[in-house]
Amino acid sequence: MASSQELSDFLRDVERRAFKQTVYAVRDDHAALDIVQDAMLKLAEKYADKPAVEYPMLFQRILQNTMRDYWRRQKVRNLWTTLLSSFGAGKDGEEDHDPLDTIDVEDEGTNPATQLERSQTMKVIEKALEKLPARQREAFVLRYWEDMDVAETAEMMGCSQGSVKTHCSRAVHTLATLLEKQGLGSRALPQLGAES
Amino acid sequence: MTTENNNQDFQEQEIDLQAKQIVGLLDAHANRLSMRTLKQLENGRELAVKAHVQQISGLSINRDSTLSNLSAWAEHHRMVSAGLVLGVIIAGFVLMQSLSHQQPSDAFLLSADLPPEAFVDRGFEPSLNDVHAKL
Repeated sequence: MASSQELSDFLRDVERRAFKQTVYAVRDDHAALDIVQDAMLKLAEKYADKPAVEYPMLFQRILQNTMRDYWRRQKVRNLWTTLLSSFGAGKDGEEDHDPLDTIDVEDEGTNPATQLERSQTMKVIEKALEKLPARQREAFVLRYWEDMDVAETAEMMGCSQGSVKTHCSRAVHTLATLLEKQGLGSRALPQLGAES
Repeated sequence: MTTENNNQDFQEQEIDLQAKQIVGLLDAHANRLSMRTLKQLENGRELAVKAHVQQISGLSINRDSTLSNLSAWAEHHRMVSAGLVLGVIIAGFVLMQSLSHQQPSDAFLLSADLPPEAFVDRGFEPSLNDVHAKL
């Protein structure tokens, strides 16, 4: 059984990645926060008796399921939102602006030109990730971002290892093509701080 | 055949390399979240750790026996209560049976030579006592 300290360390390690992955999947920061917090709580409550080594797989499974639940609920809500929004279109985005949201932490001391270039590259990657089919994005995130092997990814996604390889290959190809179009080939990425 | 395998391996390596470069950027970007987001993630983490502490304290009550957590403990109590009620019902049934055996039964009335109305007659018992006294 994992100790509370082990759980805390694990969550601290994965929370930022989990948040960004969820944002790419649901395209809503607030919803992503709710989903990640929900997943954290479920892991702590339902799997308290599990050892810490099982946490990465369990947490990813909970996170993916919670995202799916969110999408199911959204389908129903969207119907009502569409109907209601036709009665009054407000500018919600401008009212909710908070300066804290724009303050970044861990700002590295790179020069402004590189920062700008990196920021633009990230926008391209983020857009591309958001546009990927859900299964391809899931495979890419689990296989490469969560560093799971093909078998683990297949088990998590409930499909064959061949399907995982296909999803990953297509996802990487799509992302690479988009980056090439922006003049950001595989040679340019390391210069922007991407590890290889 | 070998050339095809080599090509496939090369392609997979190329995909892995590109994926790792993209993931490197994503990782760097994930570390640049706003203060507000980080605070909310921290709150979520603290809530989860609190829930974990509660779960662990529940689990450690009776770890040496069959009861492994609080719900099992409650379940155990329910089973004991059900067992007690069942025991009382069985004991009551057995008691009733034993008492009914001590009283004159219908079988006695039906197997007697006298008609059943004789036992209901008020004068029957005194006359029977008189007969017994004379004997």
